[in-house]
Amino acid sequence: MGDGRRPRSFYALSAVFALFVAFLWGPMVAIVALSFQGPEGGLVFPMRGLSLHWFEVLLSNRGSVDITGAFLRSFRLALVVMVLTVVISVMAGLAFRRVFPGSLALLYVAIASLIVPSIVVSLGIGLEFRLLDGAVKALGGEWAQGNFVTLLGTYTSGLGAHLTWTLPFGLLIMFAVFNRFDPAYEEAARDLGAGKWQTFRHVTLPIIAPFLIGVAVFGFTLSWDELARSSQVMGSQNTLPMQLAALTTTVTTPEIYALATLTTGASLCLVAVLLVVAWALRRRQGE
Amino acid sequence: MTDTATSGARATPARARSGRRSLGATAEAFLLALPMWVVFAAFFLLPLAVTVTVSFWEFTQYSIEPAFIFRNYTDLFDGCVEDLPYLCTTLKTYLSTLKFCAAVWLATLVLGFTIAYFLAFHVRTLPVQVTFFLICTIPFWTSIVIRMIAWIPLLGRNGLVNAALQGAGITETPLEWLLYSDFAVILALTHLYTLFMVVPIFNSMMRIDRALIEAAADAGASGWQTLTNVVIPLARPGILIGSIFVVTIVMGDFLTIGIMGGQQIASVGKTIQTQIQYLQFPLAAANAVLLLVAVMLAISALLRMVDIRREL
Amino acid sequence: MTTRRTFLKGATALGATSLAAPYVHAQEPVTLRYLSTAVNQSPGIAQRAGEELGINIEYIAVTTDDVARRVITQPNSFDLVDTEYFALPNLIPSGNLKGMDASRIDRADQIASVIREGTVDGQQVGTDGTAPFEVLYLDSADGQSFAPEPTDFITLIPTTYNADTLGIRPDLIDGEVSSWSALLDPKFAGKAAILNIPSIGIMDAAMAIEASGGITYGDKGNMTRDEIDFTIDRLIEAKRAGQFRAFWSNFNESVNLMASGEVVIQSMWSPAVTAVRTQGIACKYQPLQEGYRAWASGFGLPRTIDGRKEDAAYEFINWFLSGWAGAHLSRQGYYPAVLETTKEVLEPYEWAYWYEGQPAEQDIMSPSGELLETAGTVRDGGSYADRMGAVACWNAVMDENQYMVRKWNEFIAA
Repeated sequence: MGDGRRPRSFYALSAVFALFVAFLWGPMVAIVALSFQGPEGGLVFPMRGLSLHWFEVLLSNRGSVDITGAFLRSFRLALVVMVLTVVISVMAGLAFRRVFPGSLALLYVAIASLIVPSIVVSLGIGLEFRLLDGAVKALGGEWAQGNFVTLLGTYTSGLGAHLTWTLPFGLLIMFAVFNRFDPAYEEAARDLGAGKWQTFRHVTLPIIAPFLIGVAVFGFTLSWDELARSSQVMGSQNTLPMQLAALTTTVTTPEIYALATLTTGASLCLVAVLLVVAWALRRRQGE
Repeated sequence: MTDTATSGARATPARARSGRRSLGATAEAFLLALPMWVVFAAFFLLPLAVTVTVSFWEFTQYSIEPAFIFRNYTDLFDGCVEDLPYLCTTLKTYLSTLKFCAAVWLATLVLGFTIAYFLAFHVRTLPVQVTFFLICTIPFWTSIVIRMIAWIPLLGRNGLVNAALQGAGITETPLEWLLYSDFAVILALTHLYTLFMVVPIFNSMMRIDRALIEAAADAGASGWQTLTNVVIPLARPGILIGSIFVVTIVMGDFLTIGIMGGQQIASVGKTIQTQIQYLQFPLAAANAVLLLVAVMLAISALLRMVDIRREL
Repeated sequence: MTTRRTFLKGATALGATSLAAPYVHAQEPVTLRYLSTAVNQSPGIAQRAGEELGINIEYIAVTTDDVARRVITQPNSFDLVDTEYFALPNLIPSGNLKGMDASRIDRADQIASVIREGTVDGQQVGTDGTAPFEVLYLDSADGQSFAPEPTDFITLIPTTYNADTLGIRPDLIDGEVSSWSALLDPKFAGKAAILNIPSIGIMDAAMAIEASGGITYGDKGNMTRDEIDFTIDRLIEAKRAGQFRAFWSNFNESVNLMASGEVVIQSMWSPAVTAVRTQGIACKYQPLQEGYRAWASGFGLPRTIDGRKEDAAYEFINWFLSGWAGAHLSRQGYYPAVLETTKEVLEPYEWAYWYEGQPAEQDIMSPSGELLETAGTVRDGGSYADRMGAVACWNAVMDENQYMVRKWNEFIAA
């Protein structure tokens, strides 16, 4: 079948796919084009001038977009979310290979977490932490009155809110993985005298590893671009999307497009690197 | 053959062993799932409980007070029965949201199915499939906030699309309905969520035994017959899972409908957001509970048709 | 000079962290977490304050609605808030803001009379809505109600204020626009926009509806239920007839709608008109016969602030009123709290352009050095007295706010 001639439907579907890609990239094209305007440029067509002015403004940090802090904060948070999502999802994925008390309930909770509108979750977590803050102040005595600010923060409520969004995706991917997983390999390993951890480390993990990259990418991306769930729970420090949302309410220059162009360019490079690494890994495995 | 036989024979003692250990194994499974439980309990179930509780509270313009009243719910349905056949705000808002759900579901389904079919059956190697998926994903790595602004230069009166249409002589005056309209909302939502449909359908399609399709062809089925009688039934779980994603996300959306609709189109999410804006938390909470019930009803109907764990 | 000083400071800080870690806390510059919308957060002001006061300003940028929400739900997540006066009737009863000690504000008695008394050059301006002077004082430091007479406890110290009117695209509009009624004129069907912040949008609508006849409001900023019903019905009619292209809720959206030509008439902030014009697009801040809808924003302190942070906050506010910040904001088109100190810092030709309605003697530049207006231009709307003196109403939150929001949602759903 591999070397058979392409049916006619192939070309029709290729065209559909190409159009779909064009559709997905449409807004990006506008963003990239508009980021190269001259100093008098705005956020809409027609283009006014052609220059690298806005990149210069952005990189020299003298414009109105100050996102370095928020960028780093979001990046670190997304990394933590990514690692926790992978670890917790794998653990739960292993657990779900058998029935355990509350397994059905956990499944429904995970799905519910996916479909409850984000703004509701955010509101709930915000209210919950408000009550907790009150409790700490009431119980903490003098010290708390003077020093305690809030439990709300990037790595408390913020991290939790993001995990409620990434974990369901992680879990669903793990279901897909383990449904196709042949336990014979593990049994073989155990028969050869491998311990539980050894079996996991040397047999299970290498087999599921490629899919974990998927979980990791999902975890990172979902956290990186999360806005609605973050809105009420981040305490005093904004994540990048929140900072951008606030900035887009005021910034009317293409500086913000220059930022988007740069981040997309960086993403493309990252993907290229990942593909090369994946290709190299496959070659090594092949040998 | 020999291999299978040996491994089968060897498997027996292992199974026996696992039987003896089953209590320990269950406990182990429980412990493994514990971190996930903890996260969901602390950051999802408890906040949800707080939300439900608060939906019965009283509020003023600046505070919320513990109480047990139903006024937030009665406010929500104010005029919904007595004013019929005129629709009250809540019903109208839900109808409008449902309309978008249906339109976006249909659009993403047709488009998503086609793309998934192409990727599963016409793209032959995994690296190419992965590359194509990445090409589709990268535009989503730019913040949604920025991407949303970019629709204006694209679809606006003086936007690229209108310029192209006028340049090609297809239209004489700019098309007004490209932006700030139902069309714009559906387009942007389709843009955002088609991939959520593609991935699960692709997943289901990859599990279809290619021999079945060849068999269908050998038995004289046309391409169309193969599609409707073999591929679609076998891809059903993926279609349902994708549908669940799309329906629920669109139900809760307020950002896209707001921006693409020029803030002139109502959605349940937008209503909740306005209420939060004005610190009417209990009212927002009541609205959220209602939305939750609506979404759960839709999902439980869909889940009846598919066992999500088996089908992934 | 400055560079060298900053460098030395940096070097000292480095030395301190590496050598004397235990003593750093006492030396560390105070950081003030400054909560407001991004519009009020000029990087230039934070930088200057850092240089002159050694106070580290950390901006927390959120959307307009989030400012009030954070004050009420997360009162300990900021040290200084810059919020609008009309939010005060909601914020003060929450008990999360403290009355500021007037004796610690150097220029408390120099704050512009339009804020302190609602007068410009001795003339009373319109007081519909939440006029700042009505909510400027508390009856005690911990008070949760407003004092009708001046006291020593101030709710907000003004940062910026201005008067909004209709912005138009003169190149896309035939004829003159002289009344708010133009907003609902079928001539502009599909090319008008209104503000989707319900409490402000409804006031724009009220200005337009009253101007076109048929109703006279008791107080546009505090309508009765009947008045709200009437207003929303008229809005729904207009919406069904396709009057509105879009609704906007922030600075950027209003600029984009105008710059892209999607909308040719809408209510606008003066700096938003300037932003459109810097892109080389004709846009006019159009004075109208019915007058302006004004707003004012100011600094408030959270109840929990004390010690060094509180001292630093007062120090920063006093610095803010001392001229440099006022001049900086003036060049963006806003008005500052203390006019006298601002005048000292602005160049005479700048003062004449921004405040006296005189033609610009030289090109007018923005704080970042971009050309705003060429020499010879007169500011739209004229002088400070012409603009602030013609204020008809102030941004407000109504007593019937809950009902109004519900009706507004009905309008959106129609």
